[in-house]
Formats: sequence, structure tokens, C-alpha cells
Amino acid sequence: MTNPATATMRALSPLSALRPVLQTVLGPTVASVARTLDRLLDELIAEVVRRVDLDAAARRLDIEAVLDRVDLTATVLYRVDLRTVVREVLDQLDERSIALVVSRVDVDAVAQRLDLDAVARRLDIDAVAQRLDVEAVLDRLDLTATVLRRVDLKAVVDAALAQVDLVGLAEQVIDGVDLPEIIRESTGSMASETVKGVRMQGIGADEAVGRAMDRLLLRHARRPDDTNS
Amino acid sequence: MSGGTAGGGVSPVPREARPYQGRRAGLVTRLVAACIDAAVVGLVLLAGYFGLAALIFLVDPRGFSMPHAGLVFSLTAAFVASIVYLTASWTLSGRTYGDLVMGLRVLGRGERPLGFTTSAARAVFVTLVPIGVMWVALSRDNKSIQDVFLGTAVVYDWQPRGAQGHPQE
Repeated sequence: MTNPATATMRALSPLSALRPVLQTVLGPTVASVARTLDRLLDELIAEVVRRVDLDAAARRLDIEAVLDRVDLTATVLYRVDLRTVVREVLDQLDERSIALVVSRVDVDAVAQRLDLDAVARRLDIDAVAQRLDVEAVLDRLDLTATVLRRVDLKAVVDAALAQVDLVGLAEQVIDGVDLPEIIRESTGSMASETVKGVRMQGIGADEAVGRAMDRLLLRHARRPDDTNS
Repeated sequence: MSGGTAGGGVSPVPREARPYQGRRAGLVTRLVAACIDAAVVGLVLLAGYFGLAALIFLVDPRGFSMPHAGLVFSLTAAFVASIVYLTASWTLSGRTYGDLVMGLRVLGRGERPLGFTTSAARAVFVTLVPIGVMWVALSRDNKSIQDVFLGTAVVYDWQPRGAQGHPQE
């Protein structure tokens, strides 16, 4: 802040009275001179640049010393957009370039460093299995030969038979083909057929009499359960 | 009692008869069986009569004449033959010859085979009151008078072997 005494002395100075006059007279001249000097300076720089042998200057430059004074790593990390650079590089890679890179990679060494157990734990086996063409795999396999060569068929058959109710199965088969009826037809006599007919006629007559008595006595028709012993 | 194969092995019963296995028999079948049993008893009596005549002939051929059996003796012999025949049949196999022909079997309480006592009581009852079988027609459960009093049942059973179980007594 200006001292009030100093401000008073400046106001009373003879130059203070001439300042507006000088500004009015000298202002345009000074401005013109300044523009001329700027133009000259530009032309001078261009001429200097044109005449200077930059290659020679560069050859004399100790680049190593310059690089030693620059922290290139920090410069790249802080001043370069690495994502953009990587994206551009990847976009420019073609199959040949990738193949070239892969050919120079020691895959075995990479595999040795891999924790395959961890990879396997993270692997979604179900998803892989869903994509698997099982039919194609089976088409390539000779399952018959594989089973015949590698399976203990006797043990399999024994285990299967152990879980099967052979007696019950035989009974179902016999019942299915109605073996008793076949035996009766092959060995039966006229008498057995007559007895069978008489019995069935008797059962029919019993039911007829039962129904007639139900109607006569105004009873509801009897159900089979009613006459179960 | 079942005519199927479930749990009982292969059944020799024809398929058309299996639905009736174990059901109480009706009047007609039981009457036919009773008639056959009556015929059997009659044949036994005739055999006995002619056997007695043959014995008399062998003893005294010259003075032989057909033996004369009085009414009381004949009825008594018929009752005794019937009771013995029925008791023996029901005790041994649960079925008489008439029951065998018609595919019937007599069971006691709990579907068990008849014991001697129940068989004998039923034989006496059936012989003295043969008309009791007619109650089957009136009974909703196909029970005769004898069945009602003794707790027995006559069922269709075409199985040649007897029902599994223990006698009552």
C-alpha cells in the first residue's frame, strides 16, 4: 500500500502534470515501434532457424547425458495414456503377429509355473460338459470292444443277478405266458375241462342268484368286497 | 387267499377264475357241492349195504336173502356216515369231494383251516339241518345258518393245496 506522503509528493511532481500529454503524443508511436520490433524478431528467428544446421547440433548433443537426467519411466507413467497406447497396439496386431509372439513363448515354462489345481477348482466343469458333443465322442469309441476287454463281465453279471429276484422274475414270466394254462391244455383231460366249466357256471349262477335276491329284497347291489372272506 | 402270483408263487388257477378266489361262495355252487356229497354218502351206504349182503351170502348161501334195514337203522347209518365223512374231509383238507369238484373250501375264524372240533360241530349241524344252506340266498355275506353260528365260511378256492395256516384247535 502506497504511503499517503509518497502519493502526495507524486501528485505535486512536474512529471505528473506531463503524463497525460506524453501518453497522448508518444502512445501510438510506441505501439507502432513495438509491432515492428515483433515482426523483425519473428523474421530473425526464422532466419536463424533456417541457417542453423540442426543435424550438426544434434550430433554434438550428448543424448545419453540428457537421458540420464530424465526419469523416462516416471514420465511415461504419468504423462502417457497407456490404455490408449495398448488398445492401439492390440488393434494393429494381426494373426501373423500373434503367431509370431506365441512362437517365441516357452509354453512349457509357463505351464510349469501354473497352479493347475487352482485353475481346475475355478473351472466350471458342468458348463464344459454341456458344450461337449457326447454323441460324437461315443461314435469315436468302440464301446463293445472296450467293455469286452476291460470289464469283468462275470463279476458284473453276478452283481446284477444278486440284485434280481430270480424267483419273482420267473413267476412273472410264467404268469405272463400263462404256463399253468399251457400245461393244462397239453396234459389236461376232458374231465378237467368239464370241472372248470362246471365251476365257472356255478360262479355265474351264484352271482345271478345273488343279484336276483338283491332285487327281491330291495337291497343295494352287493359289491365284491361284501362277499370276501 | 389269492389266485395271483403276488407273494404266493405261480398260481395254477385259470385267469378267469382268479378274481373270485377267496370270495364267499354263493348258493348254487354250495348246493351242487352238497348234492355231490349226498351222492357220495349214498354210495358209501350202498357199498356198505351190498358189502353186508355179500358177507351174509358168504356165511349162509342157501338161506341168503337181501338184508332188511329198518328206517331208524338206515337214517342212523346215513347220519353217522355223513358226519364221519364231513368231519374227516373238513379236518384233513377243508373240503369234501363235492367242494373239490366245485372249487370250494371251508375255513374257520380268521380264514384258518378248520380244526377237528369245529369240523365235527359243523358236520353234525349240516347233517341235522341241511336246509340251513338256504340262508345263503338271504344272507348279504353268503353265510349259511351253520356259518353264522360257527363262524365258518365257504369260499371259492381252486388252489389244489390247502390254505396256509394252523388249525383252529
